[in-house]
Amino acid sequence: MVKRALLVRVIAVAVLLAAWWLVALATIWPPAILPGPGQVWHQLLSTSDAANGQAGYAGSTLVERLGVSLRRVGYGCAYGILIGVVLGLAMGLLPVVRAITEPAVTFLRALPPLAYLSLLVIWFGIDEEPKVYLLMVAAFPPVAVATAAAVGGVNRQYVEAAQALGAGRFEVIRAVILPASAPEIITGVRLAVGIAYSSVVAAETVNGADGIGGMVLNAQRYNQTAVVILGLFVIGITGLVIDSVIVAAQRALSPWRGRV
Amino acid sequence: MSISRRYALSLFAAVPVLAACGVGGSSSGSGGGKTVRIAYQNFADSTLLVKDRQTLEKALPDHTVKWTAFDSGASINTAFLGGSIDLAVIGSSPTAAGLCPPLSIPYQVIELLNVIGDSEALVVRKATGITKITELVGRKVAAPFSSTAHYSLLAALELAGVDAGQVTLVDLEPQNIQAAWQRGDIDAAYVWTPVLSVLQQDGVTLTDSAKLAAEGKPTLTFTVAGRDFAAANPDVIEAWLAATDDALKLIGTDPGTVAAAVSRQIGISTDDALSQLKQNIYLDHAEQRGPDYFGTPDQPGELAERLHDTAQFLRQQKKVDQVPDLATIRAALRVPGAGGA
Repeated sequence: MVKRALLVRVIAVAVLLAAWWLVALATIWPPAILPGPGQVWHQLLSTSDAANGQAGYAGSTLVERLGVSLRRVGYGCAYGILIGVVLGLAMGLLPVVRAITEPAVTFLRALPPLAYLSLLVIWFGIDEEPKVYLLMVAAFPPVAVATAAAVGGVNRQYVEAAQALGAGRFEVIRAVILPASAPEIITGVRLAVGIAYSSVVAAETVNGADGIGGMVLNAQRYNQTAVVILGLFVIGITGLVIDSVIVAAQRALSPWRGRV
Repeated sequence: MSISRRYALSLFAAVPVLAACGVGGSSSGSGGGKTVRIAYQNFADSTLLVKDRQTLEKALPDHTVKWTAFDSGASINTAFLGGSIDLAVIGSSPTAAGLCPPLSIPYQVIELLNVIGDSEALVVRKATGITKITELVGRKVAAPFSSTAHYSLLAALELAGVDAGQVTLVDLEPQNIQAAWQRGDIDAAYVWTPVLSVLQQDGVTLTDSAKLAAEGKPTLTFTVAGRDFAAANPDVIEAWLAATDDALKLIGTDPGTVAAAVSRQIGISTDDALSQLKQNIYLDHAEQRGPDYFGTPDQPGELAERLHDTAQFLRQQKKVDQVPDLATIRAALRVPGAGGA
């Protein structure tokens, strides 16, 4: 059954690739608008080659760029998740905190990252800070919302049972509330990482030329469409990999839960 | 199986349906009659006077003239590739990129709208104490990459004998250059007005594009026209050239009128428009036929060499695959006013 599902997926990808290749081959549009898979593959090899005369692409190889972008996403998500979990716990446990912060969190969720990037640049400059903060701001609301909902939904009986056994306030949070809400929190984390990763191009519009998003932007300026498509594939595929890692972690952390 | 095949085929049938779906706003549809699609940029220039006075609309009553604002030459090149534009106002750097493979856009340079003067300049913070370009080694210098300012910055470094690798180049849009400057994140920037005037308040100007033009590294603004479009619509090209030539002359004789039109078009004050207009150098078509620019069809001017230089520079930056030979670039120049008119 699993094998068959895998086969279907492989065929689906192959069909899409073939369709792309055929459309590119028909040259309805010039290659600068729609390059074929071969040109994108060539760019993959060229941008990974540190000895091609421009050290990969404009000074960094694809792998270096991916590393830089993943570092930014990693920091942004780590801070975002930390803030999200703490704030979500407070929101779920204390109705006052929820009443105060919920509108603000919803407000931040509605803002497109590019819109507040300009502000972050004015406040924090052009180095790593605005990029990491942008990803942090993008990442924390889903975690906060998911955590607040999960904490509010923990079965009262578990809490009361723990209290009857003499557990203090923090012990209840540590031993009952957090484990019971873990699956929902991780779902929030999964959303957060996705949002942060999809914001990386926006984050790298300002002095982020060494990242993978910076490469996409730079290539777009010179109509190097094959490089743009390559960048999108790299972001998309690594995003998929990261997502499956989080799903695996979710299964490992809450094995009592059904499949997600 | 037959059902799924039919289903798959229906996906292809959906393509034209999708294309016919509205996306809101006005798309470039066939409005009946002939259409001229012009890409312009919002900086103080003769083309804004032509747009403001509707000179072209009046000269071509049987044409629909469609003006679209673009922010950068790169997006204009994309629009040309997609066949969405007939005429465009575009800088020399993106024009050179467009003429080189892999883009090889079939357009012709039909006119020189301006030579960029001191509206683009290299400014360094006073606090650094730097007074010469050679002292920029090891410093952080910002410019919007792929722009004429980027080209000028690298040309200025080269003329001063500074290897660009010894300077930390930062790619920033003008408004971000201003923010980074105010925070002290960058030491210098090559940028254009209005951000330039803000930087000059606490900065020292090391060089500007007028000086670079005098040293043989000019940056220019052109009108380009699709090759097929120009061949099929000589009347439109002549109407455009006549309108812009008048506007170029008017900048010299009556800049106030042009500034008023510019201020109406881009929403800046007339004084700002006037000072921005004065920062560039304008040549009418007779002057453009001089040996430094287009020359005459029999005696080609040096403009092709300048574009070739720009293309070489892009090649060094690995932004184009190869540089076409001088003859190809010459063939992409159409001397304004040489065909009669």
